[in-house]
Amino acid sequence: MKDTIKEERYPVCKSAELADNTMRKITVDTIDLLVGRKNGKLFACDNFCPHKGASLSKGHFNGDNIVCYMHGYEYNLFTGKLEKMTSWKKEDTWVEQDAEWRKSGDLILYPISEEDGMIYVKKPG
Amino acid sequence: MTKGEVPNIVALEVLKKNGVNVDKLKELLTKGVGAEFTTYYYYTILRMHCTGLEGEGIKEIVEDARIEDRNHFEAMVPRLYELGGSLPRDIRKFADQAGCPDAYLPDNWEDINSILKVLLEAEQCAIRSWGEVCDMTAGKDPRTYDIAQRIMQEEVEHEAWFIELLSKRPSGHFRRKFAGQSPHTGSQGGLIHL
Repeated sequence: MKDTIKEERYPVCKSAELADNTMRKITVDTIDLLVGRKNGKLFACDNFCPHKGASLSKGHFNGDNIVCYMHGYEYNLFTGKLEKMTSWKKEDTWVEQDAEWRKSGDLILYPISEEDGMIYVKKPG
Repeated sequence: MTKGEVPNIVALEVLKKNGVNVDKLKELLTKGVGAEFTTYYYYTILRMHCTGLEGEGIKEIVEDARIEDRNHFEAMVPRLYELGGSLPRDIRKFADQAGCPDAYLPDNWEDINSILKVLLEAEQCAIRSWGEVCDMTAGKDPRTYDIAQRIMQEEVEHEAWFIELLSKRPSGHFRRKFAGQSPHTGSQGGLIHL
């Protein structure tokens, strides 16, 4: 009998290769994912920022959030929720952006697991 | 072949075999050209407000950047359609999906530095935006990469202009030969107005 769960997962790397509080971009069937470990917990999400499509792998951590380097939006890596919509305004005299431009969906998350010294992510799609 | 039926496109087939996520690429290109088009619009307003002793000297530099940003739109849009993408039919939707914020005229526009800061912010966002396209296509899609890197080179130059005006750091560039010269993208996209 086929083990469909194992067939649908993609080997990311050896457990020892993904240190705590680090992340890396991987590509599975042309889809870029961001995988990492934050305070001992694994996470996997789409690398494409839900706001304007920047690579989240170029961002940085803020607690459990990933901060997008393009516009500073923050998404929780474990819930996927948009946590902070950073303002465009660098100065008080700047005019805020239109609400339609500012809005963003949540981050797409993927199941990730660790087994026998290997890290696996569920294949997208 | 019936009307409207699109045959197999080898140029797309090759990209997919190279590992390019064509749908994501089209999305990034649409956001990128959206930012160029809106920037062209907002730079028109910013340029109009470059007046006075300091502003008049800066006006022509803003004009160079303004026309070159329009050229970037012209250069990449044909490639978007080649890839099977298209511009949104509603310009409001086009602006809302743009990859960079609107370069709004600041309330204290009489201070020329305030305008320069907005211009700099817009150029820096454009560099990040086209950098994403370059990263996605490098070694996989030479045609898109070639156009994106040409745009990127001009955006980097624009950033340098505004940084130099704001900070007075030493400058390696000299002025363009004519407004909107686009030394890197000028040959792209059939820019017949050049």
